[in-house]
Amino acid sequence: MERPYQAQTLRHSWEIQLRVVGALLIRETLTRYGRHNIGFLWLFAEPMLFTLGVTALWTATKTVHGSDLPIVAFALTGYSSVLLWRNMPGRCIGALWQNLALLYHRNIKVLDIYLARILLEFGGATMSFAVLGTVLVGLQMLDPPQDVTKVVAGWLLLAWFGGALAIALGALSHRSELVEKLWHPAAYLLFPLSGAAFMVSALPPFAQELVLYIPTVHGVEMVRDGWFGDRAQAIYDLGYLIPFNLVLTLYGLLQTRRVAAIVVPE
Amino acid sequence: MIRARNVHKYYQTSFGANHVLSGISFELRKGEKLGILGRNGAGKSTLMRLVSGAEMPSSGTIERSMSVSWPLAFGGAFQPMLTGRDNVRFISRIYAQDFDRNLAFVEEFAELGPYLHEPVRTYSSGMRARLAFAISMITEFDCFLIDEVGAVGDARFHERCNYELFVRRADRAMIIISHDAAYLRDHCTRFAVLHDARLRQMADFDEAYGEFRRLVGLQPDRQVAARVPIDRTRLIEAAQTRALRDERFTMLVQDGDLHRDARRWAEAEAAYGAALALYPYQRSYWVQHAHAAKEQGRLAVAEVSYRSAGALGEPLPDVREHLDFVVARQGDDPAQWPLREYVPGSAAAQTPALSDVRLLALLVWGTDEVEAAEARDLLRRHDSCDALLAAMIGDPRFAGAQGEWIAAQRQDAPPPAAPPAPSPPVAADPPPPGWADALACIACPATEGRNPEAVAQAISSTGQAWTQLIAAGGFATWPLSRAALERRIAA
Repeated sequence: MERPYQAQTLRHSWEIQLRVVGALLIRETLTRYGRHNIGFLWLFAEPMLFTLGVTALWTATKTVHGSDLPIVAFALTGYSSVLLWRNMPGRCIGALWQNLALLYHRNIKVLDIYLARILLEFGGATMSFAVLGTVLVGLQMLDPPQDVTKVVAGWLLLAWFGGALAIALGALSHRSELVEKLWHPAAYLLFPLSGAAFMVSALPPFAQELVLYIPTVHGVEMVRDGWFGDRAQAIYDLGYLIPFNLVLTLYGLLQTRRVAAIVVPE
Repeated sequence: MIRARNVHKYYQTSFGANHVLSGISFELRKGEKLGILGRNGAGKSTLMRLVSGAEMPSSGTIERSMSVSWPLAFGGAFQPMLTGRDNVRFISRIYAQDFDRNLAFVEEFAELGPYLHEPVRTYSSGMRARLAFAISMITEFDCFLIDEVGAVGDARFHERCNYELFVRRADRAMIIISHDAAYLRDHCTRFAVLHDARLRQMADFDEAYGEFRRLVGLQPDRQVAARVPIDRTRLIEAAQTRALRDERFTMLVQDGDLHRDARRWAEAEAAYGAALALYPYQRSYWVQHAHAAKEQGRLAVAEVSYRSAGALGEPLPDVREHLDFVVARQGDDPAQWPLREYVPGSAAAQTPALSDVRLLALLVWGTDEVEAAEARDLLRRHDSCDALLAAMIGDPRFAGAQGEWIAAQRQDAPPPAAPPAPSPPVAADPPPPGWADALACIACPATEGRNPEAVAQAISSTGQAWTQLIAAGGFATWPLSRAALERRIAA
């Protein structure tokens, strides 16, 4: 097999990968947000606007969510989570086609292109969530989270799921256009089922059983468990979400490897 | 060292697996420079991508124990929304290099001025090429891959590129692919030919080039589509691009250039002449042909070729001085026989070139052999294709070749009940390539409502150009020629 000149030790490889992903991240940020008006602040201004808009809508329509949680808190945790796992695949699908020419630089691997985009989305969604949370708590429209560690852990598990899904779909999309075509309706339909708009405990038992097959539900429930504590009556199982993420990650990496073997730079 | 062992590459396509490379093996040591010749689509660029590591072989291995560049002068990796400066920064990050030093080099080398701080999408293609090459030079590699670097930039930039590559980096290994054989000859130490998915290493340039010529001569380039142009103007336009896409033509003129550089004028004239026989309406190489003839003192030949260049649209300032020189050397007054330029419009009014003299001679005299001195006098005296054809009809050779036709016209009646079966052309020489198409679009242009495609078809299937053209109403708008024909029949 190939024995690239520079990748001699694992540590050296790791340094190269960090450098490359970092460079791609900056390139991606500059390309997407430029240097005009607020520049890269759009990175989280955009998801913030989304979340605020949805929060306002849900408040106005007094959306039923089947718990006594305040609607603002419910919308913030719910919609932020959706943005977290949904935007990553959206940015990775077709990413390779747009960046084929980069592969002429041998240190840049297919996976690096995906990783850079995933990190960027993660950064945007996380900053949006953190800033909104802080501001709303500061304005006393929201109680501070009861268990920050649990919120962070749930958030990271959701991000892991989103990233793994993004790598898998990104790699698959290089081989079939169907992925891109199907992703949009799938993402749209998954939104109401993802756990963003309901609490599992509010559902009838047979529905609970069904929605608990959806991995994002576990992540969102965990975030809410951390934020609201017992008031949320969260139901989730890390024994399901973590193995699911592991398998999905493995599948995504295998697909990426397959694509890397057949990809033809421009 | 780079070591390729039994490398295969195929692509899955809708029509099955396409085997692009098959069992490629070679080694390249430090400082060696390998030049690869190959036809269009032979897989040269694929091989480069595999060696660079941007793409994986389907089977086989490529080992690298030295750092290898990306294919040089390649600008595709620019993000067009970013500035030139941002792109330099990106490459510096990827290769862990000092950004300020690199930026200073690019500023100096690419000469983009303030544009370095503008998005790359606002650059001209020349600016992109300069930026691409400069960025290629900021990263030091043990081996450079050079893919048609000669194709970009002006002469001065070209020289600086050559200096950076071949003087300052003379100790590096290189793999070079180019259509320009002389470029390979001047810069490589080893040579190979890529053909039919296989790479064959050759002992020296002459052997590799000979093999390449043989392969190119085998079949005409499939990419050159042959459609009949709609009129003479389009014929000339099409010849410029078609000729340069036909490897037989490019190889012959390259041959001519090699001889010219070595001051072997007779060989150069022959090579340019052979190229122009393929595309007589390609204007640029008439000048080269004329120079080669002039150097041998073949002044009439040179004059004819200079006039042809002007007639087909070569800018006059490039030609006039030379033409005046050869006219004066023949003891004539250049002011009396000035250079005539290309005129747009219908073929009848356009300035004739040697291409037209030969084509029309074949049509009305039955031979395209015209002595240089005669061709010179024809082109001197006649300022339009119509006048030229009229003069040729007035020549006794017309009566010789078209006697039967003239007789048939005089009887003012349909031809005899049992016309002699059209005798297949006795001429030992087959007509030159494209002659039917050229005649059809000149005599029966679509711009005058005729169908050159059908006429060309009729000419090549019957071999009877004159009768077919006249029957199709050819030369309808050529008053001088029509009058000359009337006189012929009446006499």
